[in-house]
Amino acid sequence: MAQNIRWQGLAAFVLIVGSITAISLLFLDTWIKLGAQKGLGHALGAEVNIGQVTHTLSPFSVMLTEVQMTDASAPANNKVQAKVVSADVELFPLLMNKIIINQLQVSGVAFDQSRESPGEVYREPGQQQNFVPSFNDEEIQFPDIDELIAKSPLKTTKAIKDAEQTYALHKEKLETQYRSLPNKEKLESYKQQIEVLKDTDHKNPTDLLAAKEKFDRIKQEIREDKQKFTDFKNSVAEAKKDLSPKVAALKAAPGEDYQQLKGLAAGDAAAISDITAMVFGEQTRAWSEKLLAAVEVVGPMLQNNKEQVEEETKDRGQWYEYTDTTPLPDLLIRQANISIDWQQNTIDSQWQDITYDHSKLGRPTIFAVDAEKSNLWQKLRLNGDLWIDDLGIKANQSWDLAGFMMQASEMVAEEKLSVALTQALLNSVGKLSIEQNMMEGQSKIDLGALKLDAQGSNKLTNVIADSLNQLTDLSIDTKLSGDLKTPSFSFKSDLDKKLANALTNSVGVEAQAKLSELQTKLDGQASDAINTNDQQIAQLLNWEKLASGNVQSLDNLLKSKLNSLVDKKKDELKEKLLQKLKF
Amino acid sequence: MSLLVKFLKALNSESSPWQIAIAITFGMLVGFTPLWRLHNVIILLLVLFFRVNIASFIVSVVMFSALSLILNPLILMAGDSLLVAERLMPIWTWLYNTPLGQLSQFYHSLTMGGLTIGLLLAIPILLISRLVVIQYREKIMAWVNKLKVVQVLKSSSLFQLYQSMES
Repeated sequence: MAQNIRWQGLAAFVLIVGSITAISLLFLDTWIKLGAQKGLGHALGAEVNIGQVTHTLSPFSVMLTEVQMTDASAPANNKVQAKVVSADVELFPLLMNKIIINQLQVSGVAFDQSRESPGEVYREPGQQQNFVPSFNDEEIQFPDIDELIAKSPLKTTKAIKDAEQTYALHKEKLETQYRSLPNKEKLESYKQQIEVLKDTDHKNPTDLLAAKEKFDRIKQEIREDKQKFTDFKNSVAEAKKDLSPKVAALKAAPGEDYQQLKGLAAGDAAAISDITAMVFGEQTRAWSEKLLAAVEVVGPMLQNNKEQVEEETKDRGQWYEYTDTTPLPDLLIRQANISIDWQQNTIDSQWQDITYDHSKLGRPTIFAVDAEKSNLWQKLRLNGDLWIDDLGIKANQSWDLAGFMMQASEMVAEEKLSVALTQALLNSVGKLSIEQNMMEGQSKIDLGALKLDAQGSNKLTNVIADSLNQLTDLSIDTKLSGDLKTPSFSFKSDLDKKLANALTNSVGVEAQAKLSELQTKLDGQASDAINTNDQQIAQLLNWEKLASGNVQSLDNLLKSKLNSLVDKKKDELKEKLLQKLKF
Repeated sequence: MSLLVKFLKALNSESSPWQIAIAITFGMLVGFTPLWRLHNVIILLLVLFFRVNIASFIVSVVMFSALSLILNPLILMAGDSLLVAERLMPIWTWLYNTPLGQLSQFYHSLTMGGLTIGLLLAIPILLISRLVVIQYREKIMAWVNKLKVVQVLKSSSLFQLYQSMES
């Protein structure tokens, strides 16, 4: 046996393996750096840069410094950047291709910082909502109003059709019932016949009995006719009940159509009545990116990372995956402390169980921010949870920010209008939920001690600027909706109404003329139908009155009795009998 | 060139035919599978630790690596069919969830196919190689030594230098 063993060979093997290990360790930092840049870049869809990587072997930890993630929608800026990222990694799970980080520390996180040079974009981001119109009121191209009305799905047209259909539904029945109603002559004849019967002096009981039978017959006919009137009255009431809301909708439709089409009819002049979105839209989106960073940035990154694992398996030869029976997901960060630098203040956020395979872990990622009172805010609380599975991202988040001192900043910087925020005290509460990557959320933003510096350069923008300069406080209701990657915002505040009125009075002559033309045509389109419907309603009311009157008359006739006549005859007979007894 | 000479020398030397045959077989296993795999490290240890002819091993790795390029579709097909076989699924799942399974990267179709075909051919290749070496030494060696190309090789300065170093 000994003759078959080559001890020098064993030494050579140790040397070879040792050399490979030494080289690997020597270049480990570089490999981690390249791997992290590639992996994170793929997950983010834009260039990621890491300044330096260092590691320790016992315990195994990695530290990344100067991490920069390019903003795919603005490559000259970083979407997020961090000064230091350090992670304690468990070694044994690495053998199972699982990255388990017990403690992650991220410090010096900042959003939207400019880069030294623009970063590369690997995936184009979704189109962002544009809040600011062009303000070029001199160049507005006004469309033909008839063409505009013909092309647009109008509420007026639908309301006319609805009202017509509703009336048609009842019309036939009502007319048939109306035709079968007894006429005036018949009703008069009932009255006369009853009067005659009551006034006739019946000589003997036989005549009286015959009169009674005739009286009952007439009453029966009256009852039948009364039933016809009652049925008709009920049908009229039913038709009225159905038609009234349709007519009301028809009357409101031209106004609603006008609101919808005025932007198209008068160009930007009318569209900018949504002034809250225009002035505060961009700023709110910027705030939301910070407030919703957990679900808007981290969520998609984790989700993309999951997809990346699947993509890379399609290399030379196929990499198969089998049911993972180990209790750990492929990536798990048990605890993370992320410190965000924001306007010379530090916000600490605590995270638990960051992963992209929550089904395996069985619990969601939880995050919370509870920043102490600072020179910038009175209170900042934020908490939420995040769950990623094959269906997408499911998340909940709520926040409460009070007494936030806003820094002076530029809100709108357009050629025709500039708006700068000089000072404001912001309070905001809100909540957001995400189900299968679709967002739905709302928040209330109260701006107190507000000072805006707005300047316009034409008639239109001067009106806006004047109104904005007079603002001292503002309450904005914000709604978030749409896909997680391209969220959509809508805003509502009193400012819209105030400015809409101011603008309507000051928009250009041609724009005003177009708006008037639109209003007239929409009103004209609906007026015929409204007149017809008014007539129909009036007819229904007449019918109802007629039916009610006749039912009352017939009721009175039915109350008539022959009893008095019979009693009279009884009294006469009794008198006769008493006289005979006296004699 | 020197490796080829070494290989020819091994064939012509007193090295045991088993040593050469085992080297060729190990070379085939390495040549049929991707290089950076756990089983290749073990084979390297065996080749170095036991008196397996290293030159024959290296020449075999090169030759079977070239052959694996031609056989690539067959190797992939074998790997794919094994890794998706319903009956073997419990074994693969169990292995997949062990550190050894993860380190072996058995779940890569090229690795699984190459290793399986290599192992299936190991015994035949071992026996055939040994037989060829014996037959070569008995019947062909003298004829090969007379070949001009071999004589040229042997007379080359490189070969002379190599021989002097080895002696």
